[in-house]
Amino acid sequence: MPSWPRSSLFAGAMIVLLALAIFPWLGAPVYFVSLLFTVFMYVCLATSWNLIGGYAGYLSFGHVAFFGIGAYTTALLVKGFHLSALETILSSVPAGFVAMLVALLVGYPCLRLRGPYFAVVTLCFAFVMDLLIKNLNFLGGPEGLWLKSMDLPIQTVRAILFEAMLGVTALSIAVAYWTDRSKFGAGLRAIREDEEVAQTMAINAPKLKMQAFALSAFFPGMAGGIYAYYLTYIHTDVVFDMMISILIVLMALFGGGGTLLGPIIGAVLLTLINEGLSTFVKAELARIIYGSLFVGVIIFLPNGIMEFFRRTQGESPH
Amino acid sequence: MLVVEDLEVRYQELRALQGVSLRVAEGDLVALIGSNGAGKTTMLNAISGLIPAASGRISWRGNSLVGLSPDRVCMAGVVQVPEGRKLFPKMTVEENLEMGAYLPAARKHLAESRKAVFEIFPLLAEREKQLAGSLSGGEQQMVALARAIMAKPGLLLLDEPSLGLAPVIAAEIFQVIEGLNRKGITALLISQEVLHSLNIAKYGYVLENGKITIHGKAGQLLDDQRIKESYLGL
Repeated sequence: MPSWPRSSLFAGAMIVLLALAIFPWLGAPVYFVSLLFTVFMYVCLATSWNLIGGYAGYLSFGHVAFFGIGAYTTALLVKGFHLSALETILSSVPAGFVAMLVALLVGYPCLRLRGPYFAVVTLCFAFVMDLLIKNLNFLGGPEGLWLKSMDLPIQTVRAILFEAMLGVTALSIAVAYWTDRSKFGAGLRAIREDEEVAQTMAINAPKLKMQAFALSAFFPGMAGGIYAYYLTYIHTDVVFDMMISILIVLMALFGGGGTLLGPIIGAVLLTLINEGLSTFVKAELARIIYGSLFVGVIIFLPNGIMEFFRRTQGESPH
Repeated sequence: MLVVEDLEVRYQELRALQGVSLRVAEGDLVALIGSNGAGKTTMLNAISGLIPAASGRISWRGNSLVGLSPDRVCMAGVVQVPEGRKLFPKMTVEENLEMGAYLPAARKHLAESRKAVFEIFPLLAEREKQLAGSLSGGEQQMVALARAIMAKPGLLLLDEPSLGLAPVIAAEIFQVIEGLNRKGITALLISQEVLHSLNIAKYGYVLENGKITIHGKAGQLLDDQRIKESYLGL
């Protein structure tokens, strides 16, 4: 990444953020507001996944579980305390913390496993969560839960939730930015490269992995909470959809794992390409094109799209 | 001073180390020699906390290291230079060195340590921005040594630093180690290069099948008939 001075980088980010924040109030069709909402959601999910999956190299295939836990936490809080619209949006904060807490409980045993074992056990964790919630009646069970939407025109409702998701996404990117440059991030990279050696360099690998895993679960939890209010109907098949887990991993790796911009680029590109394909191309063909795209990137840019920029700049990674 | 007493390490049924005792006094360079499979690396890994000790005592400057996690052992000032270099290959030389100074105490002196390290290894200053994985074996070993020095170690544990290196480069590495020791760094050197290591070491231990069989001043060991026959082929 080119190293711009910090102040101009910050100013640039603020301008982009402001421009995006104004967008839904300019009278754009609801479709575009919703599309961007989805883009932000995946940017947030892929960016937070990148903390554990990209920097530390622990490929979690169960991140949808944190998303779903966040969605159900918000739904439960709304049902239990009859929250107002604003309170419902704010309830995504406790939703994030609940996801984080679950990540700590699950991470403690699971982060001892490495490579494919960790990937498989996290995948199973997501399946178990899905089944568990399906069988709990107070969570709606197999019927799902309904949330009351705001008493506002759809355009305004979407715009408000757009702002909320934008906020969470910006926060997750800010945390990723900090991680990328901090000692914490350096430690995670060392763990990815060689965990034993990292430990003999005084890096407390178990602690760092737990912190990264918990942090990477927090933002999906928040995003899930906001998404629940966006959908107003929550069902395990939707918020625990395994495709989301896989998409998160693919997006981050497609852009470039362990880089700040990689997951952002990956999530934006793949969400837009997917949307474009399903709108303009016949369904069967769309899947084939989407799949070939992955095959192409994996063959020619195995470390993701970010690698292309590095190559052209002739810089070393990071 | 590093004190190891009656150390026993097991891999399931196998007793890899059986009552090993050893001392490294402050400022000394001590060589631990022995053939493949004698238990040399096991010994270092037990000191570093990478594998648990079944019984026995390990202490450094009076503090027990038994049961500490590897990062705690490093924090106590005991830094291992692992066998086969084990750099972070996709990081640059500079980043590898920075990882060495991960501890807050070492990080404070990052700039000075870097300068000191580049004085010892002028070549690394030229290679600073290169990926560690792209260096030659000798250069990588230098990075591994440099990275360990960045941690401001009290005791260096060197595991086969000349492994897989051309004889000329190996000789150079041993010279560097001798130089580091002259600068006051205490080190425990593990090597199969008996002649080289005993030449630079003050004291030597011979490990055979998990037991110390011979030990003494390095000069005396070089004259020892058993060592001449078994290890020097004389």
